[in-house]
Amino acid sequence: MTDERTDGGATVARGGMPFGLPTWVGAVAPLVLLAVVVAGFVFLNPFAGLVTGGALPDVTVTHASLPNDETVVLHVTNNGPDPVTISQVLVNDAYWDFTLYAGGEATNTLAPMESGRVVVPYHWTPGWDLHTGLVLSDGTTFTHTIPAPQVSPGLTGELLGLLAVVGLFVGVIPVALGMLWYPVMQGMSDRSLHAILLFAVGVLAFLAFDAGFEAFELAAEVPGAFEGNLLVVLGILGALLLVQAVSAWNASGDVNPLGIAYLVALSIGLHNLAEGLAIGSSVALGRVSLGAFLVVGFMIHNVTEGPAVVAPVADGERPALWHFVALGAIAGAPVILGGWIGSIAFSPTLGALFLAIGVGAILQVNWEIGTMVRRRGSLGTPTNVLAFLVGLAVMYATDLLVAL
Amino acid sequence: MPDDGPRSTGDREDAAELTESLSDRLVSAVKDDAAVSRRAVLGGLGLAGASAVGLSGGATASGDHDGAESPHGRAGVVGEFQSADFDPHEFLRTFETGTVKMEDGQRVREFELDASLREIEIAPGVTFPAWTYDGQVPGPTLRAVEGELVRVRFSNGQDHPHTIHPHLKNVDPQMDGIPQNGPGVIEQGERFVYEWQARPAGCHFYHCHSMPLKEHIHRGLYGAMIIDPDPERVRQNPRDYVNYHGPMTDDLRAELVEEAELRNHEYRADEVDEMVMVMNGFDTNFDGDNEVYAANTRAFAYGVGSTDAENGEWEAGETVKPIQIRRDQRQRVYLINAIEFDLVNSFHTHSQFFDYYDHGTTLKPTHKTIDTIMQCQAQRGIVELDYSDHQPGLYMFHAHQSEFAELGWMSFFEVRA
Repeated sequence: MTDERTDGGATVARGGMPFGLPTWVGAVAPLVLLAVVVAGFVFLNPFAGLVTGGALPDVTVTHASLPNDETVVLHVTNNGPDPVTISQVLVNDAYWDFTLYAGGEATNTLAPMESGRVVVPYHWTPGWDLHTGLVLSDGTTFTHTIPAPQVSPGLTGELLGLLAVVGLFVGVIPVALGMLWYPVMQGMSDRSLHAILLFAVGVLAFLAFDAGFEAFELAAEVPGAFEGNLLVVLGILGALLLVQAVSAWNASGDVNPLGIAYLVALSIGLHNLAEGLAIGSSVALGRVSLGAFLVVGFMIHNVTEGPAVVAPVADGERPALWHFVALGAIAGAPVILGGWIGSIAFSPTLGALFLAIGVGAILQVNWEIGTMVRRRGSLGTPTNVLAFLVGLAVMYATDLLVAL
Repeated sequence: MPDDGPRSTGDREDAAELTESLSDRLVSAVKDDAAVSRRAVLGGLGLAGASAVGLSGGATASGDHDGAESPHGRAGVVGEFQSADFDPHEFLRTFETGTVKMEDGQRVREFELDASLREIEIAPGVTFPAWTYDGQVPGPTLRAVEGELVRVRFSNGQDHPHTIHPHLKNVDPQMDGIPQNGPGVIEQGERFVYEWQARPAGCHFYHCHSMPLKEHIHRGLYGAMIIDPDPERVRQNPRDYVNYHGPMTDDLRAELVEEAELRNHEYRADEVDEMVMVMNGFDTNFDGDNEVYAANTRAFAYGVGSTDAENGEWEAGETVKPIQIRRDQRQRVYLINAIEFDLVNSFHTHSQFFDYYDHGTTLKPTHKTIDTIMQCQAQRGIVELDYSDHQPGLYMFHAHQSEFAELGWMSFFEVRA
């Protein structure tokens, strides 16, 4: 033994294919073998002895809608691996007439992963909780409580107009007002400007936490088949990495302040979309009294978003004015869009996903602002850290004003 | 809809029109309830595609749902029973009288019962894995005559150990059908012959007494046992059959004897329309509460098939239909409460007052002229009804625990001229 080898004498050269096979065969072979093994399981069923009674039925009622006081609509999803039959429906402990609509037709079964609507003609009383239950063919029950039911008002032009005005006051105007600090910020020292930027980071970080908690809360209502929590994780990381990839591809080299401003505006816009969604759905449910106090609260809360948007471009050349209009629109106007969507429809699954995407976008933007500050000076100065804390604290304090 | 055909009633065109307008209303107005609190808002995001989800399918809602005529909705179960394993209408008037023979001057009446597992349908499309006597819930209604020896050959074909415990005046403790006495529990594949004294006359009950008792009863191991009074014995001991302390006149004695004859299937019981109703319930999701209630197992099986609440029209279904009774005949209901989990059950008749014989052990009513009677678990009695001066038509009867009624114990007599 003269060779001092540690690999046991393997001599296969790196990059060479065994038996002289072409590389594509090597790439495809594992997949082909996997297909063979899968087919073997399907046809031979070697683990038949492990099948003990099958999976339990799993049905989720994601939410209910109340088009009028004579109708209850339950939105149901079959999370299990087997079809389920909804044989009977209970309303407040009484069997009641119903029809299940799934796959575009009246039926009584739901295939795996299939969603449907259980329409119950039931004359309910506004404000009196409704306890509903689905009874499957094997007697399993799944219940859903509708607390203090209210009729959702029909979608009218008047309602859309009203929501647009609300969105204007709650989203667009405060952001625009906040952006008016731009000239002041332009004259600031680097130290103050960095503090303002860190204040913006604090504002955004608060929004990220808030949206993140809300996303996981909503995820609990997502049908099990869609793995709500993992969907939120995917949304956060996916948005973070995608925005990062785009921004790294664009800004080859130095950080682009205007680009960052747009990213901040986009993140805040996504956040404001959800804000609008909550307002819209609350209005649709007849659950909100948008009194002056609440609107003022929203305005105070959202005015802090204005400086956050323009802070990245405060140092140096003033961008063209139309950029400011665009930034304001991207950041503020989604409240209007969110209000419209929220008043028309809502799904916990998509709600959780969009909240998660917003969190990811905010995290990336914060990373970007942090990088910018670090390149121009120092990130962790006492002033900056305190400014960050003030951002969090101001958001918390103003958040208390706007409990819907 | 595969199963709602028989519920259609009245004018199909009207129904179609109404359902169409209903679904139109839905399609135009479906709006989803947003469970988003204010917290959702901060930091979050919106929902470009949500509207697509919320509204999907709405436009395809078809108007083929015949049952929803009333704008306020229709109470009760949807659809018809799909399996023919048990017919509550047949069970209602079926009495097992076994085989009779004489042994050393003693009349002996023999029955055979087995225990088995069976999937039974308790509401349309809803099944329950029941433990049964002779494959049915309630078990067969056993009927004997006072003074006989009842011999039940029991074989257990089910995985769990079972017994038969009779609610009779049984003087041999070996035959009590409990785990602590006599043969104890009867294991799977084993047999045992129970012998019981048929006394006192009345409406009685038998059930499995294995532990856990609550489960063995609610899973379905129970049935009615009717002991007919012996008119000869009544003639000799009339005071045993009436809670009365005045002088025993010949008239009263004759009255009691006649009543005994009308109760005895070997005498004149066929002059009376006799029915058995075992009030029971089923806990389908094992939460210690019944999801389905009924008289004789099947929820709403004695209901009307379909009904139009707007004008009171109704139509009998295939499996869901009222009990037909004749106005000129006396009705007798052997009523037994086999409910578990709930403390009491009850029987209430609409537009009718009845005489009630608690446990059926007397030949004079223990309650006269009442329209509601309460029974605790295992309590039973005889209800005697007279519809001779009622107009023909539907007369409701049900448990007056409204919850039980709306979960299945809701029934109708259809009184016919």
